[in-house]
Order: sequence, then structure tokens, then C-alpha cells
Amino acid sequence: MQQHTNHQSSSHKQLCTPAQHVMSRRRLLGTTAASGLLGMGGLGGLVQPLIADELTQSDKQVLFIWIDGGMSQLESWDPKPNTKFGGPFRSIQTTLPGIRISELMPKTADIMHLLALDRGVTTVDNSHSRGVPRIQRGDPKDRGVIYPYFGSAVAKLMGQGNSQLPPYIWVKPGSGGFKYQDAGFLGPQYGALAIGDGLPPPNMVLPETLSHDDNSARNRLRQFANAQYAAGRNSTFGEAQSFVFDSAQALMNRRALFSAPDPVDVELYGDTELGRDMLIGRKMLEAGVRFVKVNSYGWDTHGDNFNGHASLMPRFDQAFSAVVTDLDQRGMLDNTLVIAMSEFGRTPRVNGHVGRDHWPEAWSIVMTGAGIRRGVVIGETNKTGTFVENDAHDIGDFFHTWFTALGVNSAETEYLNNGQPLPIAHDDCSPIKELLA
Amino acid sequence: MTSLRISAGLAIILTAALYAPASTRGVELHTAIDRLVEDAADGKFAAQATDQEFLRRLFLDLTGEIPAPNDVAEFVANSGADKRIEMVDRLLQDERYARRMSELFNVMLMERRGTDPTWSRFLVDSFKVNRHWDAMVRTIIEPDLSNVSEQGAGYFLTKRLEKYGQNATDYPGLASDIGRLFMGIDLACAQCHDHLFVDDYSQADFQGLFAFVSNTFVRRDTGFPAIGQKVMRKPLEFQSVFGEDMFTTGPRIPGGAELEVPEYDKDNQFAVAPDPESKAPGVPSFNPLHYLSATLPSASNPRFQTNLVNRLWASMMGTGLVWPLDLHHSDNPATHPELLSLLASEFAKHDFDIKWLVRELALTKAYQRSSILQMALDDHVQKAESEYRVFREKALSPEQLMWSILKATGAKDRYPLELNDEEKLATELPTTIDEVREQFISSFANPPREPEVEFSPSVRGSLFLLNSQLVQSWVTVGGNNSTLQLLKISDSTEIIDSLYFTVLSRPATAVELKQMRGFLISQPDRADAIAQLVWALLSSNEFLINH
Repeated sequence: MQQHTNHQSSSHKQLCTPAQHVMSRRRLLGTTAASGLLGMGGLGGLVQPLIADELTQSDKQVLFIWIDGGMSQLESWDPKPNTKFGGPFRSIQTTLPGIRISELMPKTADIMHLLALDRGVTTVDNSHSRGVPRIQRGDPKDRGVIYPYFGSAVAKLMGQGNSQLPPYIWVKPGSGGFKYQDAGFLGPQYGALAIGDGLPPPNMVLPETLSHDDNSARNRLRQFANAQYAAGRNSTFGEAQSFVFDSAQALMNRRALFSAPDPVDVELYGDTELGRDMLIGRKMLEAGVRFVKVNSYGWDTHGDNFNGHASLMPRFDQAFSAVVTDLDQRGMLDNTLVIAMSEFGRTPRVNGHVGRDHWPEAWSIVMTGAGIRRGVVIGETNKTGTFVENDAHDIGDFFHTWFTALGVNSAETEYLNNGQPLPIAHDDCSPIKELLA
Repeated sequence: MTSLRISAGLAIILTAALYAPASTRGVELHTAIDRLVEDAADGKFAAQATDQEFLRRLFLDLTGEIPAPNDVAEFVANSGADKRIEMVDRLLQDERYARRMSELFNVMLMERRGTDPTWSRFLVDSFKVNRHWDAMVRTIIEPDLSNVSEQGAGYFLTKRLEKYGQNATDYPGLASDIGRLFMGIDLACAQCHDHLFVDDYSQADFQGLFAFVSNTFVRRDTGFPAIGQKVMRKPLEFQSVFGEDMFTTGPRIPGGAELEVPEYDKDNQFAVAPDPESKAPGVPSFNPLHYLSATLPSASNPRFQTNLVNRLWASMMGTGLVWPLDLHHSDNPATHPELLSLLASEFAKHDFDIKWLVRELALTKAYQRSSILQMALDDHVQKAESEYRVFREKALSPEQLMWSILKATGAKDRYPLELNDEEKLATELPTTIDEVREQFISSFANPPREPEVEFSPSVRGSLFLLNSQLVQSWVTVGGNNSTLQLLKISDSTEIIDSLYFTVLSRPATAVELKQMRGFLISQPDRADAIAQLVWALLSSNEFLINH
């Protein structure tokens, strides 16, 4: 435990250097005290309401591809063939001169000029249970509150836009439902609406005996009853419960999103779970959903890593390259920030089960789309891939980068939680300029 | 090294268990609980819950459904000083108590993996006769297969050894579930190495537990869920993924002594020889499960003592004294350590009597507080809740929701089946209570293997309430349902008042009366209007939350 904590703080010292924006934060703290007096505080608000208004008018969207369990950087973005830990796979040339990626990603190699890749990622946690939430929260400084996941943060900062659909949709294998835990202190209404197994939820159509007017009338009665109940009580449960009714109503109005996919699209994205979910993700983006998370599971290859990746990578390669190409051809890529990542990479050293274990010390994150420079590769690991040479980037740097790409000033925008101003990204980190357009 | 770590972690928990503060000696447990809660609190307390709020909460927790309107009326009219104690005692004797507890424990122990009629019978029978928790766990690990009411108990083990999806038989999962659900410790992350950030959880603990189940298999000869054991010939070998050294362990309960694996010659390795004719497997002379059932559920195992009191506390009070429920270790202590150790030691003194513990919890002021708190300006709702100064809202389980909606709509009579006898359970009529339950579980329950311990309302559940034919058939006039009963009342004020008693177990306030009556008289079709009103209250937060 002790060792772990030390590792944590030293790695941050090494990675995140206080930037100039610390000054502006102090200035903002001054402003906040005043606004607190004016009674502008509140749960999950923003310090700067004007910024908030402006952001909700933005048409930027996010496709966040979460590769759960830990994709091996050595079998994907940062191959080290013919080295001590390199494994059996070769590397192949991409459309970017001099840049090679694993032979398991031939389709992605063809669109490398559209992507921005950072091979110099160093993060802290090497366990799933801490890594998954910490990374998706951008690992902010501990201020005694639970930070929102990236999707909830974007939902809060940028709103649902004009889609009428929930701002944060999570397409995943397994169970669907409303995952309010992602929202942390922002409050349950910023949680994820999960679409499980590609299926629309059952009971999407009003009973025949009920007109739309009747439905509106009974829901108004329900809302009246909720208001009576809310007085004097903790609002958390009630708001989460009400929100799922609103989401249900919005989905009922957009049933077509779940109609059978076009066979041409299936061919393009791959007839796989990830292909199917990526396709649903694209439709959700088309319908205007602000933030779509597409989830792939099963990447924790402690045993038989190479067969595992030989089977997993082609599915990722096809679905990922398809969605980037598709968004580009539809003219949506300029407005859609696309990110593909795990909670950490995998150990260069191959363990006794021919597997690779968890390795946050040196791994890769790829992105493209809105606000991101295309055809750029930064960061470098050493010859055996064990550690990052030179400038390592932590997840906090990426959160700054992505917020910036979405037009959110990550240094100045702050949440306001019960009167406490909270930076939206780690205040010792800063945007990675080389990745920004 | 490993053994040192175990003793350190255990010592802390043991010390806590032996400590009983002076202020709590010689009083009934519920009084002692309130003293400890109040000593640790800092801020204003919510008032006592109204009779109606208390009764609804108690009915939901002890019978699994809301009270009937006349239950509410009688309780409110009763002016006796001990009426709350009497009501607790009455409901503990109610036949629905066994149903409610069997549902609670089924969800807790099986985590929606599925169900089996013999398992359900074991649970219901256990709560009917108030089988104590240590006896229940002994039976689950080593049932008397000749006793009909114990036959299904092995389902806890056998279901976990079923293959699902592409996964291998999950022996490690079974081992860690024994740790989680009977001792409150989740050792899953200590399978391949010592836990990375829980010092108390060592790989040796996991492997010791794993050794108990590593030779088990599902029997095919019994016709009900039952487990068999192969002969264990030598201790289990394991290695940390971070090191080269090999270790061995015999079966060992975390915190306990390792069991030596004896060597038997071929002729003596079975205490009961396999029977090729009946295909019954033998019983090995060295019987790890017998040892597990004899020693895990006992007063000498401090983790066994604390686990269930923490879970029952969470069920009654809305959150555990230790949270998460299965992550008890010295770096994640109880919010109220003295309280937890008192509960644990008293539970053990009362021979792990679940009904006694539920009664004591229900009698506390902490349980009987209002869920409404007009807070001081510098107070926080989370703080008030964590100090039990206000009653914390709780989720309704899918089962509680089903029984309550059936009760409120008066549609229960359409489904004559109760979960209590085998013949009925085997029926496959299209309109059974089992089928209705399946719909509720698929709409409101978590998927298999995800514990239902947090409030997580789902869009799926909302869509079920909004659009399902089933719910619609309950709220529209039909049979002898509540909507029909309300339609028979001519006075619109009386309709609204009766509606609130029927669905929300309380009278309507003046504001509600005005609003709802206004809607009722504005509608051309009174039957439709009442159906809308019933639906709106059923779908309201007040109904969908246990408060």
C-alpha cells in the first residue's frame, strides 16, 4: 500500500509540471467566493455560467472507444518485433512514412494518416478496479469528491444539444440500463444510458389503448407527485428515478435507431459484437447524441496473450477503421472527437502463462477527429518497450487535450460543487500541443 | 511473511470484536445501537417517521410488500404506546416474512444466477422455522441429502460450477464467493498474487479457500442440486505472478489454521465408497467441505460474525457499516466500529438468530426516523445519512416492487400462486406469479453476478411501467381491481383520498387533493382518469423508493 502511494505521487511529480494556468485558477477562486455570496452555488453547477451557455450551442461530439481489460500496445500501436519482449507478430508499414504498427491492424494501417497516436503514455494504476474509474475520471487531484467519468463530464459541460436524446450513451455487451455511478458529484442525471447487447429496451411502444395526450397527462401527474415527495429529502434517488423516465420517453421517440443494420454497413464494420456496437454508436452520433462510449470487453490477456490478440485485434481493426472512415466520408469527423484506449497497457515481459500482465508504465492512446491534428505520432518507448523515453504523458494531460479539442478551456472552466470550485482536469497537467490541430 | 500478515489483519478485527463499550452493557441491543449512533452523530436528527411512513417501510422490509389501506387505518387509529413493537412482532410472525426473507437471501446469495425449486424451498423452510444463520450456512455447504427441506441447499455451490458462456468452470469464483458472502472479504484479486492494495488479503488466503472447493464437482445422480468431492491427495500448489517461488497450502479458512492433507492408502481413501450401481460418488475420508461447514460458520470466526450483521444492517438501514459489503479489511473499517463489533458479538451470543437481529434493528430509533430532514445550513445530506440522523432512502427489490404493485392495483388475485409448494412451482401456466416475477426481474433486476446493493433505476424498468401490457392491464378497469373499486365511489374527494391510501399508504395532502381532484373532474371518462391516476402514483418516486 505504502509503496503504491509513493509510486503515485512520484510519477505525478515527474509527469505533470505546474503550468501557467495555476495563476488563473487562483484568480478564479477569488471570483468564486464572490459568486458564492451571490447565491450562485449549487450542486454540480459551473463556476462560469456564460461558458456553459456557449458550450451547449456547440455541435462537437465524442466517440469514446473503451477497450476494457488492457489492449497490448506491443500487439497494436507500438510493436517491437525481434526484441526481447516483442512477441511473434511482425510490424507493417502504414500510410505515414516511417510509422509501423502491428500486422494485426492492416486496415488501420491504411488510415494512419487520419490518426494521432501517442506512444508515450504513463499512468498510475495497474489494477482494473482502480484503473478503469481513475482513468475514465482523468485521475484528478484528490479533493474528497468523486469526479465524473469523461462521458458524464462532457454531458455536463456541453449538454444534450438538439438531439432530445440523453447526452451520454454507452453501447456495450451485456446489461443495459442507466449507470448513474459514472456521474460522481455531478449528480445522477449525468450518468450513462447503457444500450446492452445492441438491443433496444423492450416495451418501446405505448399501449394501443393509450393516446399520446393521455400519456402526457399521466406523466404530468407523475411529475406532480414527484415534486410533492422531493420536499425535504435527499434528491439523489428521486432525480435518478425521474431521469430514467425522461430517457425512456426520448428513446420511444427515436425507435428507428434500433432498426436492423444495413448489410453494407455490417460488411464494413464487421459481423462481430464490436462491429455491431460501433455501428450503433455511429447511428447515435448521427442522431446527435453528444457522447457515445462503445465498449469492448475481454482484453485482459494474462494467459495466452498472443492467441488472444490474434483473435481480438482483427475485430478492433475492422470496426475502428470502419467508423473513422465512415465518419470522415459522412463529413462528421471534423466535429467528432474519436478516442480509442484502455485503462493501461500490458507488460512487455511475457509471464509463465504466455500472457502479458498490467502495465501502466508505457502504453499508447490513439485519437482523431474534432480539434485533433491528423497524421501525427508522438511519444516513444525504449527499445524493449518497457518505459517511455523523454516526455511521458499522463491521463490528466489527455483530459486537457480533449477538452481543448472540444472547445472547452480546460484551464479556466471549473465545476462548482456545493460552493467548492473544482477544475475539470488535473490542475498540474496541461494540453498536449502536438496532438492539437 | 504471509502468516504474519494474516495475524496482523485478524488481530485488529478480533480486538474490535471483544470490545463492548460501557454505555451499552445491560440494555437491549436496539437501545445500545441508538446510543452508539447518537454518540457518533454531530448535527440535527430527523423526527420520528410518521405512522404511515414507518408502517410502509416495515411492511416492505418484513413482508416484502406495502400495507393494505386497512392496515394503515388500524395502525394509525391504535393509540397504544407499544404499537410499533407490537407491529414488528406481528409482522415477524406473518407468513409473508418467510417469503420476503427468502427473496432477500436468494438475491444476496445467488446474485440472479437463476433459481431452483428445491433451493427456494430450502430458503422458505429455513425462514419459516427460523433456522439460524450458522445452521443455514452449514446446510448450504454440507446438506443432509436425506432431508427433503435441505436437499436444494447445495444449489449455492452447484450453480456456481455450471459453465456459462465461453468461460471455464469457475472454481476461483466459487472460492471468492464463499469469502465474499459468508465472510465479507473479496479475495478475487488475490488469486494470482497478494492483493495489490488490501494488505489483509493475501494470495495464501485465497488459495487456502480455493483448496476447499478445488476437488468438488456437480453430482448427476441425485435429481436435485448436490455436490460431490474427489479425493484430495496433496496440498494445492501455487505461485505468485510476481515471483518464482512455489508455495503449497491445504484447505484453510482465512485467519484460521491450515488443514493438513493426510495420506491414505488406496483402500482407505473413501469413508463411504462410491456406488457404481446408483452412480453415487463416494465420500472421501479426508473431507474438506465437512471441515468448512463445521468451522466457517462459527462464533470463533470473527469474519463470519460481522458479515451478516453488516448485510442485514444494509438491508434495513440502506447502507453497510462496512462498505462495500464484501470489502472488509483493516484499511476499510466500519463507519461505526464499536457498533459493528457489538452487533457481531450479540448476534453470536444469540446463536446467529436472524429473526432476533431483524427485530432489534426494526426497533431502533435509527430505523424509525423520518426520511425527511430540514437541515441546518451548515449540514450536508450525505453527512446526515452517514450518521443515521435521517433515514436513508432504499431501492425496492424487483420482488418488493412486484408484490407492492400487485397489492396496490388489486391484481394479485389474478395470479393465485404463492411461492411455497413444489407442485405449484412446477406449473407452467401462462399467467402464473412466476411468469409475472420473471417480467419484473428482467425489467428491474441486475444481470447475473452483479450484486443488487445500489440504487440503479433503469430505462428498461421505466419502459416496463410506461408501456407493458401487463401493467396496463392492472391499472385499467378489470377483474375486481383497485381502479374498479375506486370507480364505484361517487364522491371525487373520496376517490382521491382512497387512491392515496391504496397506492401510497397515506392520506392525500390538501394540495394533492386539489390537484388530483382537479384532473379527475376535468376528464370525460372517469374510468380512464382513475387508471391514469393509479398509474401516476405507481410510477412516482414515492412508490418506487422505500423511504
